[in-house]
Amino acid sequence: MTTLATAPAPGFEAPGVADFDLPPIFGPVTKPVVQLVLAAIIIYVAFRYSVRKPALVPSKSQFLGESFHGIVRNSIARDMIGPEFLKYVPFLTTLFAFLLVNNLFGIIPLFQFPTFSHPGVPYALAAMVWLIFTYVGIRHHGFLGYLRTSTWPPDVPWWVRIILTPIEFISNILLRPVTLSLRLFGNMFAGHLLLLVFILGGEYMLFTADSILLKVLSPFAFGMGIVFTFFEAFVQVVQAYIFVMLTASYIGTVLADDH
Amino acid sequence: MTGSLNVVGYGLSAIGPGIGVGIVFAAFINGVARQPEARGQLQGIAFIGFALSEALAILGLVLAFVL
Amino acid sequence: MTIVLAAEELNPLVPHPIEIVVGTIAFLLLFYVLKRTVFPQFEKVYAERTDKIEGGLKRAEEAQEEANRLRQQYEEQLAGLRAEAARIRDEARAEGQQIKAELRAQAEEEAERIRQRGLEQLNAAREQTVRTLRAEVGGLAVQLAERIIRTELSDDARRAATVDDFLSELDGLAQRRETSPTAGGSS
Repeated sequence: MTTLATAPAPGFEAPGVADFDLPPIFGPVTKPVVQLVLAAIIIYVAFRYSVRKPALVPSKSQFLGESFHGIVRNSIARDMIGPEFLKYVPFLTTLFAFLLVNNLFGIIPLFQFPTFSHPGVPYALAAMVWLIFTYVGIRHHGFLGYLRTSTWPPDVPWWVRIILTPIEFISNILLRPVTLSLRLFGNMFAGHLLLLVFILGGEYMLFTADSILLKVLSPFAFGMGIVFTFFEAFVQVVQAYIFVMLTASYIGTVLADDH
Repeated sequence: MTGSLNVVGYGLSAIGPGIGVGIVFAAFINGVARQPEARGQLQGIAFIGFALSEALAILGLVLAFVL
Repeated sequence: MTIVLAAEELNPLVPHPIEIVVGTIAFLLLFYVLKRTVFPQFEKVYAERTDKIEGGLKRAEEAQEEANRLRQQYEEQLAGLRAEAARIRDEARAEGQQIKAELRAQAEEEAERIRQRGLEQLNAAREQTVRTLRAEVGGLAVQLAERIIRTELSDDARRAATVDDFLSELDGLAQRRETSPTAGGSS
C-alpha cells in the first residue's frame, strides 16, 4: 500500500463503492440477481441429489447432505433453541445453505462477487428472522410476556432498570435485525474490497505504472490477494455460520422461560 | 490529500469492538481449555458476546456511510 | 469513497429493490421446496437409524429378560423336584420304619405267645408232677412205714430216730417245694 502512495504516474484509482455498482446484464437483472437464483437452484439440486435414494447406510452424497443438515440440526439448533428445536431446523438449514453458497460466490471463479455485498437480501433475511422470532416470542409468552422477557431482566435494582430496560429494548428488539444484516453485508463488502485492492492494485502495478520497481513488486500484491482469498473463504463460512447461529440463539432466547 | 473523515472515525470506532471481540474469544478459549466438555454451551455464549461487541463496529460502519 | 459526495451518491447501504424481491422469492421458494421434499427424508433416515439402534438394544434386553425368566422357572422346577424327591424319600423312610415297627410288634407278640404257651405247659407239667408226687409220697411213706415196722422193731430208740429223720427229710422237701399237702401230711 505504501508503494501505491509513492507511485507518481497516471494515478491509481483505488477501488471503492463504485466497483460494487455492477452494470445490468439485461433489463434490470444484474449479476447478484443471477447469483441469487443460481444459488437457490444449486442448493435444491444438491440436496435432491443427496436424498435421491435414502438409505440407513448413507452413500457419499447422502452423507454430505446429512452432515450439512446435521451440523445445523445438532450443533446449532439443538444447543441454541432447546427441546422444540426440530420445528426450526428446515428454516435454519435452508438459511445456512443459501448464505453459504451466496457468500462463496465471492471467491468462486467466474462469479467472484459475494452476493451479500449488496445489502438488499441481508435486509430481507434479517427482517424474516425478526418476524419469526417476534412471532414465536409472542405466541409463546403473549405480547406483554414477550416484551417482559426481552426487556425486563430479573433481579435488577430499579435504578438500574431505568437505564437497562431502554437499552435492552433497543438492542434486543430494534437492533438485532439491523446488526444481523449489516454484519453479513459489512463483512462481505469489506472482504471483497480488500481483494479488489490487492488484485486491482497488482494489475495497476504490472500494466499501468511506469516504475520498473512496481512491476517487479506486483507478484507480492497478487500473492497477498491469493492469501486473502483463503482468508475470505474462511470469513465467508464463518459469517454464514454466525448468521444462522444468532438466528437460532434469538429464537432460543425468546423461547426460554427465564431470561 | 483527499479522503473521508468518516472512514477515520470508523477506524477509531472499530478499536473498541476489536478489543472486545478479542476479550470474548480469549475467555471462550480459556473456558474450553479448563472444561472441554462445556464447549457446546460456551460456543453459543461466545458468539452472542461476539455479536454484541461487533454490533458497535457495525454501527460505526453504518454511520461512516450514512453521515 | 474517496470523496464524500461520491459516497452519498452511491451509498452501499441502499438496497437494490430487485435483489430484495428476487432474493426473497428465491429463498422462500427454496425453503418451501426443501421443507416439503428433502428435510423429511433426512429426518426419516435419522429416525430409522435411531430406531434401528434403540430397537436392537431393546430386543437384546428382551432376550435377556426372557432368558432370566426361563432360568428362574427352571430353578423353581428344580427346587420343586428336589423337594418332591426329599418328600418321597421321607415317606419311604417313614414307611420302612412303620413296617419295621409292625414286624417287631408282631414278632414280640409271637414271642410272648410262645413264652405264654411254654409257661402254661410248664405249669401243667408241674401240676402233673405235683399230683404224681403227692400220690407217690403217700405210697413211699407207706412203704417206709412198712419197712420199719417189718424189719427193726427191737431197738426203740433207733426206730424213733429213723422216723424222725424221715419226717424231717420230708419237711425239708416240703418247704423247698412250698406246697401245703406234704406239710399237712407230716403233722
